[in-house]
Amino acid sequence: MATTRLSISGLSKSYSTPVLNDVNLSINCGEIHAIVGENGAGKTTLVNILAGITHKDAGEIILDGERYAPSGPKDGFNAGVSYAAQELSIIDTLSVAENIWLRELPHKMCVIETARLEQKTRGLLDLVGLDYLSSNTPTERLSLSERQLIELAKALAADARVVILDEPTAALAGPQAARLHDIIATRAGKGASIIYISHRLGDVLSVAHTVSVLRDGQVVSSAPANTLTVDDVIHQMSGQSYPKREISPGAAHEKKPVLEVDKVTTKDLPHPISCTFYPGEIVGVAGLAGAGKSEFLSALFGLTRLRTGRISRYSDAGSINIDDPAHAVRSGIGYLGEERLSMGLFNGHSVLANMMIPGIGSCSSLSFLNRVAERISSQDLIEQLAIRCDGPQQLVEQLSGGNQQKTLIARWLHCGSRILLLDEPTRGVDVGTKSAIYELLFNMRDEGKTIIVASSDVEELMTLGDRTIVFSARKLVREFQRDGWAENDMLTAAFQEFTDQSTVRRNTGELPQQNTGRP
Amino acid sequence: MDRLRFLKQHLEENFIVASLILLILLFGTASDNFFSVITLTTILNQLPALTVITVGMTLVLIVGGIDLSVGSVMGFSATVVGVATVAWGLPLPFACIVGLMAGLMCGLTNGILVSYLALPSFIVTLGMLEMARGLAYITTNSQTVYIGGAIQKISLPLPIIGVSAALLVAVATVIVAHLALTRTVMGRFIIAIGTNEQAARMSGIDARPYRLCILAASGALAGLGGIFNAAYLGSADPNAGIGFELSAIAAAVIGGTSLMGGRGSILGAFAGVLIITILQNGLAQIGVSEPAKRLITGAVIIVAVLIDRWRGTHSAS
Repeated sequence: MATTRLSISGLSKSYSTPVLNDVNLSINCGEIHAIVGENGAGKTTLVNILAGITHKDAGEIILDGERYAPSGPKDGFNAGVSYAAQELSIIDTLSVAENIWLRELPHKMCVIETARLEQKTRGLLDLVGLDYLSSNTPTERLSLSERQLIELAKALAADARVVILDEPTAALAGPQAARLHDIIATRAGKGASIIYISHRLGDVLSVAHTVSVLRDGQVVSSAPANTLTVDDVIHQMSGQSYPKREISPGAAHEKKPVLEVDKVTTKDLPHPISCTFYPGEIVGVAGLAGAGKSEFLSALFGLTRLRTGRISRYSDAGSINIDDPAHAVRSGIGYLGEERLSMGLFNGHSVLANMMIPGIGSCSSLSFLNRVAERISSQDLIEQLAIRCDGPQQLVEQLSGGNQQKTLIARWLHCGSRILLLDEPTRGVDVGTKSAIYELLFNMRDEGKTIIVASSDVEELMTLGDRTIVFSARKLVREFQRDGWAENDMLTAAFQEFTDQSTVRRNTGELPQQNTGRP
Repeated sequence: MDRLRFLKQHLEENFIVASLILLILLFGTASDNFFSVITLTTILNQLPALTVITVGMTLVLIVGGIDLSVGSVMGFSATVVGVATVAWGLPLPFACIVGLMAGLMCGLTNGILVSYLALPSFIVTLGMLEMARGLAYITTNSQTVYIGGAIQKISLPLPIIGVSAALLVAVATVIVAHLALTRTVMGRFIIAIGTNEQAARMSGIDARPYRLCILAASGALAGLGGIFNAAYLGSADPNAGIGFELSAIAAAVIGGTSLMGGRGSILGAFAGVLIITILQNGLAQIGVSEPAKRLITGAVIIVAVLIDRWRGTHSAS
């Protein structure tokens, strides 16, 4: 029988409301222990306490037989607990190697030993599949998925007893995620305990030994993964089951385009793109990480300068060219960026202020704000989208990720956008909120709005989309209609431009590894 | 719930008011002469210039910038007013408008460089700090220009109301800026830009015109400060306003404005101005030496920020 590495008993933590309530958990040496739960269930708070970032209110943690109460992240790290957080801790201005070894840079008389640093980093980069990167590459040049792998390398750099990974695969495409799973299985085989948090339940069940489910701050079950099915876990997470939605395709296109992309190229999208979007449809944008999905949406929102071609927005008021976000918003286009925190939220301000920003004109007269109208609209939106918060005045950073995402969607609902561009709208969002967001998007489509969704989750696109366009290596390669698609075809299309390795590195820095599939 | 929050918010604002009252009582008991007409007049005379400049500074800080040039621009504008009345013989109202324009031009230059050429406001306004001071010296040939009685009327108490026109204008500026920040669309956008410029851009807000407006306004308000300063002294001193930018930043920060942008209050900043002015006069009253005065003023600024930080962390959790 394996020995217990970490034993948590009676752990509690409250902010304005209880987040963790009498949590009991036991994790063995060499065990991969998955923690799953809806957003706001308390997963991140739990691991933040383990890593020393947050302090517990009550309860006890025993690490290898000794009481463990880290005073801060450094203390936790020194005790052998390493943590790869969901919000990445990469410092843009430092190199890959400096980021990985920031906590213990090799030095002699305060001078960094570059050669030793390089040598210590090499093996780690090879391990996580970033062997093509030089250790002195500045991290600001890396893609989101590469950053995530660097974060992983950083967590693995220390020979930690407990490795905590919070949503480590959020930005990774299938093969990269599979590689990550191999790596942690190896680490666990050497005796480390891995705490693995993820919303990808399929992954969780295949990689973890034990799955613990958190609901409303309590552990509702803890069971060996091989005795569970995805439906079981969903049921335990929510306390109810989510039936798969009956998919009704969007109404037949009015053949009157709302947005037309004509032979567009940008700095990041070197191959001309042409496509047309119609009212009342959801269009999926598929592709591997780094294939150009986000770049395409940015271009549609006028965030990137076009090299050639043009993007025309047709409405009753006539047609205009989109070349600036302010124009895009005025012509009824809304955008939800891939990174909520930096691209969407105004932290330190209320839910109300966050919701009202782009459509604020409708709550003002002669540019003076009508506070009553603001309050009423935000209250309505909170109810309509079932946003879990204390009220419109609550600070937005106090909401869970899924509710923050809903707040951002509310922003565009309020300002009456006719076209919505969503980049990974359900990333890091729990199953319940996810289906609520789907429902919302279907309703918006049925009202005749156009929704363009980029996602690395093919299943999501097959659920949502009336059609899907596929990007591969920064090139629009194919378009699928709802009645003529299969997951396999889409994956094949997504990989088609990646077959020549040299193309891959030159264009994207992404390295597809089709053959490192899960065992 | 909301009522509670409302109350709490007011308590937080009242915290500054409470310290202000405490300060007044402290000096009142420590010095026999603190509650005298002369002291009051001195304080009221010093207030207008610092107030209008702090209003501009607070707005600039909220939008995520800084304006180091306000002191020099104030000096420059004062000399322009002086030369316009004395050398060009312009009637006083026109001279004042020319002085205001001088400040506005400096602010516009700052604004265009910062917003449309994307230069950091710290550097641009540091450059303007030097340039405007140079212009002030050039304008009067490094001499103090005696303007005379007419301009002093601006800072003399008006009949019936008993306070000066300068103070009235300064208080009006505070009220207008406060309403603009809290009640208008532009105010909301300025806060949004200062909090997270990228998110503001994603919400369809072009930050550039707002940055430009705020920096231009700060320049114009510094110009107004220059007029008040000339009115108070009855002359245009090219050295006027040296170090004023630091007092304005201090007042804004005491009033709860964040140097990181996105957070701040005009009313708080006004309270900050009162605290700084009363502190300096009160200390002089009770016979504290100049070096000790500076020591204490500095310490008060740091303590104020400490308390503000402490309140911030406690109200957040």
